Amino acid sequence: MMQQTSDRKWFDELTLELRIRQVHGTAIGDTLASVRELLRDTGQSAEEAFGPAREYADSLDLPAEPKHDWVRKSLWPALLGLLAFLLFSQAIISLVRAEQMLVSPAQLALLLTPAVLILLLPLYIDALMRHVWVLITLGVIASLAGVLSAVVAPTAPAEAWLAVNPFPWVIGSALVMIAQSTVSTIRTFHSASDDDIIDPLARSTSSGTGAKVFVHVTNWLFPIFALAMLGLALALN
Amino acid sequence: MSAADTPRGVEWPSDWLRATLGLFALRALSAGPSYGYAIISELERHGFGTVKGGTLYPLLTRYETAGLVSTEWRAGDGGPGRKYFDLTERGHAELARLSADWSRFTQLSTDYLDPERRPKEPSL
Repeated sequence: MMQQTSDRKWFDELTLELRIRQVHGTAIGDTLASVRELLRDTGQSAEEAFGPAREYADSLDLPAEPKHDWVRKSLWPALLGLLAFLLFSQAIISLVRAEQMLVSPAQLALLLTPAVLILLLPLYIDALMRHVWVLITLGVIASLAGVLSAVVAPTAPAEAWLAVNPFPWVIGSALVMIAQSTVSTIRTFHSASDDDIIDPLARSTSSGTGAKVFVHVTNWLFPIFALAMLGLALALN
Repeated sequence: MSAADTPRGVEWPSDWLRATLGLFALRALSAGPSYGYAIISELERHGFGTVKGGTLYPLLTRYETAGLVSTEWRAGDGGPGRKYFDLTERGHAELARLSADWSRFTQLSTDYLDPERRPKEPSL
């Protein structure tokens, strides 16, 4: 029982390490099946037969996507979506209140903090995937920045650095979010065969319908949040 | 009793096995397609000690990438399937080349280690 638990953890770690290295899903499925085959034959634990998962993933040197290909495919679109959402969330409140959108430098800096965190993601993505506390820390920083930006928001045009009509910004940011989500959805359909972990014996993917629905929902996360923001602004008004 | 007298159950210096495992793995596949555990068992049976999966599989993966071996998953009898490795023509040629090189190297090493057979060094 203990060995099954530690083996499960080892397999999860190996999958994660291969994912970090951008290894194709078919190669990951092949590797996992090969390891399972030998463990069945020898009766050894995964750690005993193959050593630490991270070192084993390193030693395999499997075919992979270019190291920073995900930055172009995922990071830039996500950053664009986030910036559009931040703009939308500021503009929609002003629009619902029929006021001008007021922005101060401190507020702008705090609002851009999550965007900067995403921009710097390539520097700490490996640590983020390996250690949950890094993810929690980032979540706390982003949340604090959001709360503080509301605290320092100007209340009168005299305090503001910028005072603009919110309507074009609401429409523009909403269109950017929808366009970004549409492009991501199309990309998800096309890249499904490379990303799915395929068991060479079952010839079926390990990510089921639930996982696919989850990926599509995450593609539309910013428009969903924007709608929630619109509902909240209308309710509070 | 020396390691050479009783090869089975004796652990050879790990550097030796690391240096020769590639050649031995190709040799183990020369008789026909085989799978991970069978290759490990074959090497163990011939007195080279127990090779870990974490050492053998990365080597076989590199050979596959280099075109020395091909792989195929075959369904097992009443159980899950196995991944079979098979030497390609290039793999056979590489085995022949490495075997010939190894013979020359071991001959040279044996001659050097045996004082009777060591060629006399020219005196200064």
